Amino acid sequence: MLAFTATLAEPQHFSLVEKLLLVVLVAASAAAFWRRFGVVLDKILKSKKDPSFHLFPIGKRVWDFVCEVLFQTKVIRQRPLPGLAHAFVFWGFCAFVLVTLNHFAAGLGLGFLNPASFFGRFYTYFAAVFALACAVGIFGLFVRRFLVRPKWLGKKLSWESGFIAFLIFLLMVTYLASFFVADADPATRVLWWVHTLTLLTFLPIIPHTKHLHLILSPATVFLSRGGFSQIPPLVGDEDFGLIAGTDLTRLATLQAYSCVECGRCTEHCPAANTGKLLNPKEIILGLRGYLNDLGPASEEPLLGKYNAQEAAFQCTTCGACEFQCPVGIEHLPIIVGLRRGAVNTGAWEDEYGSKLFLALERGANAHGLPASERDKFIEKIGLPIFDGTQEYCLWLGCMGGYDPKGREIIADFARVMNFLGTSFGVLRKEKCCGDPVRRLGNDLVFQQLAEANLETFEQNKAKKIVSICPHCVRTIQEDWKEFGTPPQVEHHSEFLARHTDKLPKQANGETIVFHDPCYLGRYRNVYEQPRSVVALAGELVEAPRNHERSFCCGAGGGLVFLGEETGERVSHVRAAELVATGAKTVGTACPFCNSMFRDALAEKGEGAPQLLDIAQLTARGLPERGAS
Amino acid sequence: MSGIWVVIEERDGRASRISLEAIAAGQKLAALTGLAVNAVVIGAQTEPLAAEVAAKALGKVVRTEHPLLAAYTADGFTLALQQFIEAERPDYVVFPHTYQVRDYAPKLAARLGQVLIGDVTGFAEGPVFVRQLMQGRLNGSYRHSGNGPCFVSVQAGAFRADEAQAGTAAISDFVPAIEPAQIRTKPSERFRGAAQTVDLGSAQMIVGVGRGIKDPANIPIAQELATALGAELGASRPICDNGWLPMERQIGSSGQTISPKLYLAVGISGAIQHLVGIKGSQCVVAINKDPDAPIFEVADYGIVGDLMEVVPALTEALKAAKQ
Amino acid sequence: MKIIVAIKQVPERDAQVRIDAAGKWIEESGLQYALNESDAYALEEALQLKEKHGGEVVVLTAGPERVGPTIREALAKGADRAIHIDCADLGSRDALGVAKLLAAAVKPENPDLVLTGLQSDDLGQGQTGVILAELLGLPHSSLILHVEKTDTGLTVKRELEEGWFRTIELPTPAVLTIQSGGNKLRYATLMGIKRAKTKEVRTVTAAELAVDSAPVAVLERVALPQKQKSTQILPGNPKEAAAALVEKLKFEARVL
Repeated sequence: MLAFTATLAEPQHFSLVEKLLLVVLVAASAAAFWRRFGVVLDKILKSKKDPSFHLFPIGKRVWDFVCEVLFQTKVIRQRPLPGLAHAFVFWGFCAFVLVTLNHFAAGLGLGFLNPASFFGRFYTYFAAVFALACAVGIFGLFVRRFLVRPKWLGKKLSWESGFIAFLIFLLMVTYLASFFVADADPATRVLWWVHTLTLLTFLPIIPHTKHLHLILSPATVFLSRGGFSQIPPLVGDEDFGLIAGTDLTRLATLQAYSCVECGRCTEHCPAANTGKLLNPKEIILGLRGYLNDLGPASEEPLLGKYNAQEAAFQCTTCGACEFQCPVGIEHLPIIVGLRRGAVNTGAWEDEYGSKLFLALERGANAHGLPASERDKFIEKIGLPIFDGTQEYCLWLGCMGGYDPKGREIIADFARVMNFLGTSFGVLRKEKCCGDPVRRLGNDLVFQQLAEANLETFEQNKAKKIVSICPHCVRTIQEDWKEFGTPPQVEHHSEFLARHTDKLPKQANGETIVFHDPCYLGRYRNVYEQPRSVVALAGELVEAPRNHERSFCCGAGGGLVFLGEETGERVSHVRAAELVATGAKTVGTACPFCNSMFRDALAEKGEGAPQLLDIAQLTARGLPERGAS
Repeated sequence: MSGIWVVIEERDGRASRISLEAIAAGQKLAALTGLAVNAVVIGAQTEPLAAEVAAKALGKVVRTEHPLLAAYTADGFTLALQQFIEAERPDYVVFPHTYQVRDYAPKLAARLGQVLIGDVTGFAEGPVFVRQLMQGRLNGSYRHSGNGPCFVSVQAGAFRADEAQAGTAAISDFVPAIEPAQIRTKPSERFRGAAQTVDLGSAQMIVGVGRGIKDPANIPIAQELATALGAELGASRPICDNGWLPMERQIGSSGQTISPKLYLAVGISGAIQHLVGIKGSQCVVAINKDPDAPIFEVADYGIVGDLMEVVPALTEALKAAKQ
Repeated sequence: MKIIVAIKQVPERDAQVRIDAAGKWIEESGLQYALNESDAYALEEALQLKEKHGGEVVVLTAGPERVGPTIREALAKGADRAIHIDCADLGSRDALGVAKLLAAAVKPENPDLVLTGLQSDDLGQGQTGVILAELLGLPHSSLILHVEKTDTGLTVKRELEEGWFRTIELPTPAVLTIQSGGNKLRYATLMGIKRAKTKEVRTVTAAELAVDSAPVAVLERVALPQKQKSTQILPGNPKEAAAALVEKLKFEARVL
């Protein structure tokens, strides 16, 4: 009965009743679709505008759109098998555009694609290949969700996802089955109507579920804020951050409605992986729930019923969530925005947070230590003072200036620069770059620090900065832009990588596992430069989670200055992973990572790997201290 | 005008050590100015106090007694001394710089149109009085201008009580006129802070234990040192993480911030998280076997050695000094 | 309750101390200034009392134009208005002279409570509040960690030496000097700073207050202390080093 006919079968004649029925059904489906989609669109448009959003330069937006949407690069690369399955489903949908149009046109007797023609045959076969891939893909995803049940999809089984998977499968099956019947067959009409009804059922479901991403996510990816962890400036005297619905901007609302609940953000979140309350997916869904229930004009607090303040303050701002999100949701501006709302109004009452803010309100560094300690250090190791004649201004930062280990890193980096004959000097006065208060949402203190530092750079005419701390590099280069024009700044790994040919190679076969700092890797896209430096000192070993998947050390987001964590300690989890590689040495490129791992590794006792910054790894290969 | 008068403060029925230091200071000021030095004791039962003080090389000891002076109040003490000073008209009035003196001496001086030169650490020709400014980073020399008595208070430890020369002084009485209605504050009995919880934040002396202790079985050695000092026991983070001491004893950025007069860091290397917790300490002593340990950078005194030997030796030395 | 908090702007805690040309004070150029630490606690105590009992918190400060940001910080933290005694020669007045200026500004306000910090981070005399009480004829207590309003006035917790405390009852109006550490300080927020822009700051010149200013205690000169802070490593075997340490702690550091 069912025999491969080599041609897609179409019912040849639709009665007037059928055509009328089709029109009515399409109208009803479209109306039902709009009834919900219109509401969502309205919420997005009713949210306040993003004054810092700029469509141009448009090149990157187009590129990201092509890669991430059309070619599904991030979807596949970060979760290969499910990603590929999803890609097939998506490409199947794309391929089916013409098919679907023709399907409905045919129902009205206006079919434009003749399946027997050369183009028709080619195209319907083309679509059939995708239909098969799509069917296999959606079946695989169904099995993953309902049989494998990965924890990142959440504890509750989503029957709505199952139903939609079924609908998509049915669409593909009805299409493929149409190759096995003849036009005149009654089965053809049945298949046609089943396909039609499936589609018309699917359409209104889209805006009611996470499948809204079908429509929104291409826009979301295209309309990103333009940078990684791009925190928008506050606007006017009444803007203190994300306090209520009225503070949510169009981008935030669009992103909240785009979430596909895939859980990739949560899968890579250091807080979620160590038993904390914070779950990035739930932050976004909490916003969505708020918008659904209360809308963007509500004055109800965002932190309360829909999201917990405690969760918002457990974020290390490592960026894994924002990096992983396939639909372009930018979690960090939202989380920092929620923090701003709490901190800028004084609603956040935290003993350690207050101590940090008070220390930076009046003092120069985040530790609350007197600035004279930094002066003593500079004098002790004889660092030259920047006077405008040297090539580089070496920025010490709070760790390089005050932390014993940070100071060792500075001392070694200075040795390396002297060896290379690069002139440098340090500023007489530095204030904290402001990274911890920026990430915790204290705009008052951050502005004070940024402006004071910008003025110092202006007075000292420092044009090129090099720093050992990725947090300082990021904050100086990007976050200070809000208050002036920062000088050019780079990380010491970028500097060292340009000079690897002049630095001695240490032939010792020592295995060194390199830990990518969040603010150097995901934030700045610098992965290979520190590795080229590590390769000089020994044999590079990769941690299981490396490059853009690097697992945070736990210090970021200002958290290193706050009190005890709940659950497991992030630093210990990552340290265990690094130790398990069996490497003799752990290589770091950030003084905070170094500080976090120091305690964790020391607990391992005698067999623990040594912990060295790339500057220290380089310096140990230099000939003994001569004239410097 | 009648010379130098030292105001004596009592402690447990005897002259407090800082009062004896004030006597020594008064005697030095006498040598500098050629004036006579005397003492005044104040309270409700001043006989034993006066007898003790009269055994010092002073001209006179005056007992200013009144039932309303039994408990210290600013109103009471100010009234009594105001009347005494108006009667006696001293050139100098020397106080020990105690919390009590800080509470009434400025009031007394202001009432008489004067200003207390407080917390003095030394005298020089003039006389010129030296006191610390900018939290000890600067010394200022003060001179008294105009007529009327010069009020001075001396810092604890600036003068040595054992240098107060002995002698005999004549004791006499002065009876001030004080009405109950003039005493506006009602003090209660003094009390200690909550004894059950460990409040390192207000402890005046603390011994901190670090990873150098190596074994929880060694902690009693540090505890004995703390007991000998009358200090609280604290610890760096790793000790608390291991459960060797409770979390509430942790000192550092994620534990308690301390500001004691004396902090003894035993076997602590000095990671920055710990250093930020102790930066308010007046005096830091470090005992560590690693001469390069960062803790030595912030210590006032250090002993490089094995804490298992140094700490017991220190405990012994402290016990001996107490005798 | 109407509470006046007298605050002082002082050089930042870790400011570099250099003697000026005349040798009478520190070189002020290049110095950063901040709210005096114990005054911040006094302000915090006042704000907490206002939050509990209602009323008004007025900050009062004497100093030159540069005290502006410190006034704004106090307003940002929650004070309702400020009085600025514009005075360019604060350094040439002694504690009595400064207290006279403050008293002249306080008298017409008729507050229920006047709070000051215990002592300033620069001169460290700890007298202004006590003298102010005397000039206003009000009862006072110093080194206060906690203030409670009662039906008859106030109950306060005063710090004594060596870990002792004492409760004192006194009537209002009264003056209290507040010790650091009694409360957790609140941080200045962006919202506070923005709101502070609309709060009243009334300026009155020292001349208008017409108090005499000839000092009784005159600061003649300043000098750096001979001994700079450095680490003394005590040598010898454990017994010797221990004995040397006890000696140092008793007579040099004077902490035993």
